[in-house]
Amino acid sequence: MADEMDGLDFPPEHDVPIPYRHRIGTYYQTLGYGKPYRWAQYTHVPFTPLKKPLKDSRVALVTTAAPYQPDKGDQGPGAPYNAAAKFYKVYTQSIEGEPDVRISHIGIDRKHTTAEDINTWFPLKQLKRLEKEGRFKELAPEFIGAPTNRSQKVTIEQDCVDILAHVHRLGADVAVIAAN
Amino acid sequence: MSLVARHLEANGIPTVIMGCAKDLVEFCGVPRFLFSDFPLGNPAGRPNDVASQEFTMELALKVLESAICSRTTVQNPLRWRENGDWKLDFSNIEQLSAEEIARRKAEFDANKEVAKNQRVAAGVAKAD
Repeated sequence: MADEMDGLDFPPEHDVPIPYRHRIGTYYQTLGYGKPYRWAQYTHVPFTPLKKPLKDSRVALVTTAAPYQPDKGDQGPGAPYNAAAKFYKVYTQSIEGEPDVRISHIGIDRKHTTAEDINTWFPLKQLKRLEKEGRFKELAPEFIGAPTNRSQKVTIEQDCVDILAHVHRLGADVAVIAAN
Repeated sequence: MSLVARHLEANGIPTVIMGCAKDLVEFCGVPRFLFSDFPLGNPAGRPNDVASQEFTMELALKVLESAICSRTTVQNPLRWRENGDWKLDFSNIEQLSAEEIARRKAEFDANKEVAKNQRVAAGVAKAD
């Protein structure tokens, strides 16, 4: 229901980006898990300008999605959270065809989305279309899968290093990162 | 994924993150971020809506090529749906009964156990 003030038709105040840090912190504390998760935080942020136009660039796609594993239970669409589908090492896979990657191992919004359409979390099809149209030079021949480790130390010291090595090996100039 | 973007960028690879958790990505601080105000799990557009997926991907590339400095966030103008009440639900303790909280705690503990066994099997954790 919209709020009416002085005849102005504002949306409800909660219709803003969800404050996840507060929500998730309060949620797990109420469930009894004590000290809230310390989210990564930095005051300085690196920035690298494009070295060449996109039309001359090779693009790597990085995803948090996991390869479908038939022996690991329900992975969707509509799957409940499935910790068995988690993975712990960076992987790469050919972009040929239609790779089957899922997000049942991730804390997505299971009330309001069902992961029924892969193109909402893994934009390979859209990138292939844009490659064909010449929007950028080409896609890297493999996409890169990133584990969603709770440990930031593991992410920084292991996964980030592995992903950068793959980006270099694949000769990519830029990276599109689809988070979940 | 914010940490990945930072690491790539610090090593000379320009990046753009597509994501739905505005506060978490900005809390970390990333170079370029296309934020879609959609439920978690939809960083690349709305389901079964190719036009929204095309629009979102093109917007991400525009952010990638046009950002002039770090912490550039662009908000996708698309709405998940006109009514924004879905935002009240995710992990919102105020919406849950005591029974539901207990059920979720049991579910979470069970998942933690599964994940622990996975880590042991993957060789990244020791068994108890």
